[in-house]
Amino acid sequence: MTSATVKGFTNEFAKMRQLGVVPVGSALLLGVLGLTMIAALGDPSFAEPRTRSWLPMLGGMSMGVALMSPLMLAVLASRQVDIEHQGQGWLLSATSGLTPGQVCRAKLVALGAVVAMITIATNVIILGVGLALGVPAPPPVGHWLAAVSGALLVSLVLLALHVVLAAKVENQLVGLGIGVLGTLFAAFASGLPTWLAHLAPWGYYALTRAAEYQGESVVLLLPSWPSLLGLAVVGGVVFALVTGRLDRQEV
Amino acid sequence: MSYIVTTENLTKRYRDRTVVDGVDLRVPTGCVYGFLGPNGAGKSTTLKMVLSLIRPTSGAVQVLGQPMTRQTRRDLLGRIGSLIEAPPGYAHLTGAENMRLVQRLLGLEDAQVEHAVRTVRMNDQMDKKVGHYSLGMKQRLGIAMALARRPELLVLDEPSNGLDPAGIEEMRELLRGLAEDGVTVMVSSHLLGEIDKTATVLGILSGGRMIFQGTRDELFAASTPDVLLDCSAPERAQAVLSRIGPATLEGSAVRLAGPGNRAVAGAVAALVGDGIGVHGVRRDEQTLEDVFAELTSGGGL
Repeated sequence: MTSATVKGFTNEFAKMRQLGVVPVGSALLLGVLGLTMIAALGDPSFAEPRTRSWLPMLGGMSMGVALMSPLMLAVLASRQVDIEHQGQGWLLSATSGLTPGQVCRAKLVALGAVVAMITIATNVIILGVGLALGVPAPPPVGHWLAAVSGALLVSLVLLALHVVLAAKVENQLVGLGIGVLGTLFAAFASGLPTWLAHLAPWGYYALTRAAEYQGESVVLLLPSWPSLLGLAVVGGVVFALVTGRLDRQEV
Repeated sequence: MSYIVTTENLTKRYRDRTVVDGVDLRVPTGCVYGFLGPNGAGKSTTLKMVLSLIRPTSGAVQVLGQPMTRQTRRDLLGRIGSLIEAPPGYAHLTGAENMRLVQRLLGLEDAQVEHAVRTVRMNDQMDKKVGHYSLGMKQRLGIAMALARRPELLVLDEPSNGLDPAGIEEMRELLRGLAEDGVTVMVSSHLLGEIDKTATVLGILSGGRMIFQGTRDELFAASTPDVLLDCSAPERAQAVLSRIGPATLEGSAVRLAGPGNRAVAGAVAALVGDGIGVHGVRRDEQTLEDVFAELTSGGGL
């Protein structure tokens, strides 16, 4: 990262003030937490303290992330980018030596850090709730970390998509509309054939599920790493290409 | 004379539309350069090319003694303040927070920011959100952002747009003060009156082409005013003079369009030769606005 991008990154945090990042981030956290608890409390095994398990909670968390993230990420990216359109920010940055592509990269890093913090906070709270409810077994740390890392990777790719989309298309309703469609796709992706889930980035949440019901019981799952790696590579290359073009774009 | 900005045959074309056509700018160091032209003349595009925000189709730009390119842009922009198109500012942040963004980006000292804010007299408004600013306050904040880097060159694109008369006068004072402090100011406008009293050098752009560049006096000298001839038989005089050049009747006088001294002498001789009494010969009074309007409507000198 160049020093200009580092300064841009710090500025992006400063711009987040009064931009509704805390309410949107809180909605994401509480939404995932709520869906986790609904899934856990809806599982018959959770009624009896002795039979309580982490699995319904992990399954609920995966579902919560898939349902809440697409729209919330679209809102976060849209708000952070729209201020550049409204406040002549692209021109201000360009006349200070920071190209639009660098601004977008700085936004992705800053928003990515926020999303990572929300993810960590959500998981720590879920762990705390599970411990407080007296789940007897130790948490499946390996599976848990793998699922969280996979879901975070998908979220970062989606964030990158929404940042460049919001930069290229001034009407922010377009990005938000795509976020809504993404939510629907993510909601149904776990029921779709695996190859179909691969067709859009929102479908990859289905490939990062920590647990799922197979018959009557819930089983632990590991993310499909080759697929996630493919998504990361494609997402990274597309983001680099688009922001590279933005660097050369006339302001 | 040293120039802080020079361009050679600067041209910008969008498909088959030429927006800026072979412009050779010469902006002397330390002056207030008034860059004039009607709306759509290509002023903003030229200024953006000077700042390397858009790429010329052909031609070259030199700023502060260096070629302005994508490679040199970042270093040079640290020495150039600019306000292009609408004033920048994040509406959800205060003036002070906006200034801090610029300060961080350019690595400026607190004193530089404070000086810029004082210069535009915004000290008491910095804790207000920019969304609550008037247009004049936004313009001043934009100029403070441009000034904070202590620029050697300040480029302002239509800074008086949307300002009331008091705001325009304040802007003039500000530009004069900056020039006295040694900053070269390049300011564009579509209204001559806005910068006439401030600019020491004028450049006039029309239809993408530079039609005049020089001092105010040179502009006057370059444009020849009409001549009014008071005579005893105006209608007959008009008929006689129409054989020499364009002549129109104006009360008891005949107006000759922009003739040189030799042509005036010839006209008087023709009238006298035809037995028409000539009572008076005078050049029409012309304001700088007339000259500007004539130049920009006619497309050149």
